[in-house]
Amino acid sequence: MWSHPEPSPIKIVLTSRHAGRHCLRSHLSPQLCIRSWSLPMMMSICHRGTGMALSGGVSLFGVSALLLPGNFESYLEFVKSLCLGPALIYTAKFALVFPLMYHTWNGIRHLMWDLGKGLKTAHLYQSGVAILVLTVLSSAGLAAM
Amino acid sequence: MAAILRLSVLCGAQGSRGLFLRTPVVKPAHVSAFLQDRLSPGWYGTQHIHLTPSRHSGSKAASLHWTSERIVSVLLLGLLPAAYLNPCSAVDYSLAAALALHSHWGLGQVVTDYVHGDGSQKAAKAGLLALSALTFAGLCYFNYHDVGICKAVAMLWKL
Repeated sequence: MWSHPEPSPIKIVLTSRHAGRHCLRSHLSPQLCIRSWSLPMMMSICHRGTGMALSGGVSLFGVSALLLPGNFESYLEFVKSLCLGPALIYTAKFALVFPLMYHTWNGIRHLMWDLGKGLKTAHLYQSGVAILVLTVLSSAGLAAM
Repeated sequence: MAAILRLSVLCGAQGSRGLFLRTPVVKPAHVSAFLQDRLSPGWYGTQHIHLTPSRHSGSKAASLHWTSERIVSVLLLGLLPAAYLNPCSAVDYSLAAALALHSHWGLGQVVTDYVHGDGSQKAAKAGLLALSALTFAGLCYFNYHDVGICKAVAMLWKL
């Protein structure tokens, strides 16, 4: 029935680890060298990355409120006094709101998955692209406000 | 997946042909009973691990945590338009609480994933708790003594 013997399970595991040994040397997961990078994989990494960045920002804001002197308005006045160009201000607003929008829209996608919806591979890629488009549009729109 | 493969190797499964039929997995009690009726000579050494209802209480905390995470996420989602449409003190404090809790639990998952070892895990989780507590305190302080989160964002955006 079988033209050649199936590899034993332990062979499969060891071969996979060997294929990913470059990553092991850098103390990274061997999966990063074996699996071809895909959109869902990238978006999942970005979801975690934006989450950590946003948490860092919120914590920085909270701790600064406790430690730094003066009130919020005084810091805003300082930034106003720098007379930054509108293009720079738009870019800064875009940079602030982009990770928030990505994490929010992708977060909704995660909640849909938790409900059991949209888990087919085709849907994964479609919703992923939709999220990316939504992120860019909403970030651009909010930065312009 | 690797764990299941290793288990079947230990249990003497012959070849991967019957891998999925012979793999011992955690199954609910009623499924295990069904499988035991179908034991063949090739099943030697495999062990059925199944959860009986009385042993579920230990995992209830994890399930509750998972559900609470989703509830806070939905709450935070709703607070975003609320902050824009109806900025007020109540929304400010709710945002502070939801943001602090959501980021605390999110970073907790990151710590669980990447920090290995009992001692390191405990230390990392303790550090995270301190950071989250400080963040929440800072946000509440800002809400009380300064303009508050909603107004601050509005002022920042008017720059």
